[in-house]
Amino acid sequence: MDHAWIDGRPVELQAACAEAARLLQQCRLPVIAGLGTDVAGARAAIALAQRAGAVVDHMHSEALLRDLDVMRDAGMMTTTPGEARLRADVLLLVGPLPDDSLPQLLSAKPDKGERTVIWLCPKRALPRGPVFGGKMQTVDRSPDRLPTLLAALRAAVAGRPVGAAPIAVKTNQSVADQLKAARFGTAVWSAATLDALTLEMLCGLIKDLNAKTRFSGLPLPPDDNASGVLQVCGWMSSLPPRTGFARAFAEHDPWRFDARRLVDSGEADCVVWISAYRPTPPPWTRGVPTIALTGDGARFPHRPRVHVLVGRPGVDHDVIEYLPAGGTLAWKAATATRTTIRVSDALNQIAAALSTSVAVPC
Amino acid sequence: MLTRIAGGRVIDPATERDETGDVWMRDGRIAAPPPAGTQPDETYDAAGKVVMAGAIDIHSHIAGANVNTARLLLPEWHRAAAARPAGTPLSDAGWPAFATGYRYAAMGFTMVVEPAVAPHYALHAHLELADVPIIDKATLSILGNDDFLLRLLGDQESAYAVRDYVAWTLQTTHAIGIKVVNAGGAAAFKTNARQFSLDDVVPNYGVSSRAIVKALQRAVDDLGVPHPLHVHCNNLGLGGNAETALATIAAAEDLPLHLAHIQFYGYGAEGKRGFSSAAARVAEAVNRTKNVTVDVGQVMFGPTVTISSDVLRQFNAHGQAHPNKWVIFDGWGIVPYEYRADNFYNAVQWAVGLELFLLIDDPARVFFTTDHPNGAPFTTYPEIFALLMSRELRAEWIARLPPAAIELTTLPSIRREYSLAEIAAMTRAAPARLFGLNDRGHIGLGAVADIAVYADDADRAKMFRAAALVFKDGKLVVRDGRVTREQFGRALTVQPGYDHNIDHRLRDYYDERYGLAHDFMKVPEAAIGRPEPFELVPCAS
Repeated sequence: MDHAWIDGRPVELQAACAEAARLLQQCRLPVIAGLGTDVAGARAAIALAQRAGAVVDHMHSEALLRDLDVMRDAGMMTTTPGEARLRADVLLLVGPLPDDSLPQLLSAKPDKGERTVIWLCPKRALPRGPVFGGKMQTVDRSPDRLPTLLAALRAAVAGRPVGAAPIAVKTNQSVADQLKAARFGTAVWSAATLDALTLEMLCGLIKDLNAKTRFSGLPLPPDDNASGVLQVCGWMSSLPPRTGFARAFAEHDPWRFDARRLVDSGEADCVVWISAYRPTPPPWTRGVPTIALTGDGARFPHRPRVHVLVGRPGVDHDVIEYLPAGGTLAWKAATATRTTIRVSDALNQIAAALSTSVAVPC
Repeated sequence: MLTRIAGGRVIDPATERDETGDVWMRDGRIAAPPPAGTQPDETYDAAGKVVMAGAIDIHSHIAGANVNTARLLLPEWHRAAAARPAGTPLSDAGWPAFATGYRYAAMGFTMVVEPAVAPHYALHAHLELADVPIIDKATLSILGNDDFLLRLLGDQESAYAVRDYVAWTLQTTHAIGIKVVNAGGAAAFKTNARQFSLDDVVPNYGVSSRAIVKALQRAVDDLGVPHPLHVHCNNLGLGGNAETALATIAAAEDLPLHLAHIQFYGYGAEGKRGFSSAAARVAEAVNRTKNVTVDVGQVMFGPTVTISSDVLRQFNAHGQAHPNKWVIFDGWGIVPYEYRADNFYNAVQWAVGLELFLLIDDPARVFFTTDHPNGAPFTTYPEIFALLMSRELRAEWIARLPPAAIELTTLPSIRREYSLAEIAAMTRAAPARLFGLNDRGHIGLGAVADIAVYADDADRAKMFRAAALVFKDGKLVVRDGRVTREQFGRALTVQPGYDHNIDHRLRDYYDERYGLAHDFMKVPEAAIGRPEPFELVPCAS
């Protein structure tokens, strides 16, 4: 089976990596995007970006940076999935949540017995079956009402009068009272479905509640190891994705170093697109010389100049990645070891083939 | 490969050597002088310079998920959209992993202990440390607020069970020792406790802070782990908390105990603000209690960020966040803070740290730390060495501080000045002994050839800021304060044995309580991404 192609023609991996290095060397602003890869792949990608003066961005940076922006603008109080599972007597679910995010959280009875679950704007059918040992209460509104709903709730918690709100005053007060009565409350959200101001309101509500009791947030991580890649970016460059290395030091700008904007505007003239967990195509339609490292079955709007088929992390090869249920980086053995190329191997080979480039200090 | 460092003043307290002479290295180790007439492959001239073993920092928060949270909280403190002006917070501190290794090496440090790794985050910490170049490193794993241990103690299980659990944790997380942080305090905070002292009982578990400290201290000692239990006491930062420090020192009884960043517990409650120096009393207790060691956690003025697993303390301090943003996580709290020379409390803190350094007689029992970055970034070390070595310099600093603060300390009356040999004892010989590293911290035959050579400059800060030469494993890595060669060190670990029954218990526990495999926190050597990432330190059996 072929694993590497140049302009659609099968080649050896070494030739593909040499061609990738040639493209990176002759371009003016390379972007390493997608970044759907494990920790080793992220380490290799950032090291390559430092050498090639490239920009790094993750395909889920929008959601990632939404949580991060609230944290780095205002701060945050959060807990781990494990603590929430063991201790949360009140779970406040905020907005639509991914289907697979709740079972781990809800499948155990909390230490203190009963658990109250309040779901604001669920936007879908509630989970069936015995997934939690408590009562469920929903506030069925469209998710676009969340900002005012949370504002009304925060006002009620603070004992302030509430004016026009998409919820009856009595219901609002009842929810507020339940939050205040929580002994270890936890608010769960997915930044993929909330905007930054809603998130900031929610995190402010959590802080307010801690004046009298304990309440924490539990942000659910985006897919494609985005949280793992964020951690690697943090220790290697001090900065999250959407960071550029072109000026010999790391500089971060969520607008300037947005890969999609860089490609659409024509600023980027070469892209390394990485999507190992699944064959996600890049989100732009404009043609740009592309080195693609993806899982099987990828369809691109424009054929990549170089394409390398990489193994699925944790399936085809052992992996270190963010483990959502543990809230941390963890090692996982492959479930079906095959001889495949890892993202890190391909990127390291490309870096090794960069002939004369000067190492750029971070 | 035979290398000679020629004609320097060799200061090596561990071998009681302080003389002008040569140091010989062969294949990464200190070698005996060869027969007369043998030509070395390389010679480095150290005439007029001071030659010491590489320095060891025993407590510096340089890596892990908590440190990474602080990095991501403060993008404005490193080069962001605009190039950063000089003198902004931590601008010199080497914030990413790579720079951390470079900056430490430039000062002649060859090993650093990351002292606060929650076991669930051990793999993350080791991955970061693997990207810290040049220096060796080690981690302390944190126990004492974890549900499993508190249940063991609450159920009055045997000391064997505690010991097995501690050993399992050390093995699984590849740590060199165990730290306890405000024992039981973080667990109590989960039930909404807002203060917690040594004899307070953790709600729901029925076990006191003291009992947690004693159980862990005994387990570490029974296992023969060289580094004694590393204790972050209760009541950090509060006026009058010297009582907590004294009580904890007394609680050590006959077994070894290490008290971390004792400066933050050196406070009396005198004066109209109820905040004064009690350093003299604490130092006196340390001098008297030979089985206790301490590190200082010196404060220096300037902006920094506090990173601590003492979640309770960090939550209570959030009102002082500067800039006004902070993160509290069940595991750690991050609160940016600025120590100001014109702030009464900060001036007292600065003085308390120096008093402790100067009033504790034995430089081998008081260790040099700023609790980086909690008291100050590690890049302030050269200034602190200078302050310890010159009472004149201290007087200059004192003159710029609020007199009302200084009046509540004994610092102006202290005449002691550290000698170079005492600095070497505090930063080389003693730390190696504290961690059971027989082949580090000295320049004796067979030691790892980690060597720092400094110009003997009267300006001691200048001297220690940029080593003239640094050798790591016998290879030249720094010249005139600049890294000349990048290589990677190892993480030192202990691997005490345990009864594998604990494995089964933990498997059931994690499965039932967390819905996770109990080995999700393991640190597979092959996954670290560096050849030979670990080095084993033997336990006394």
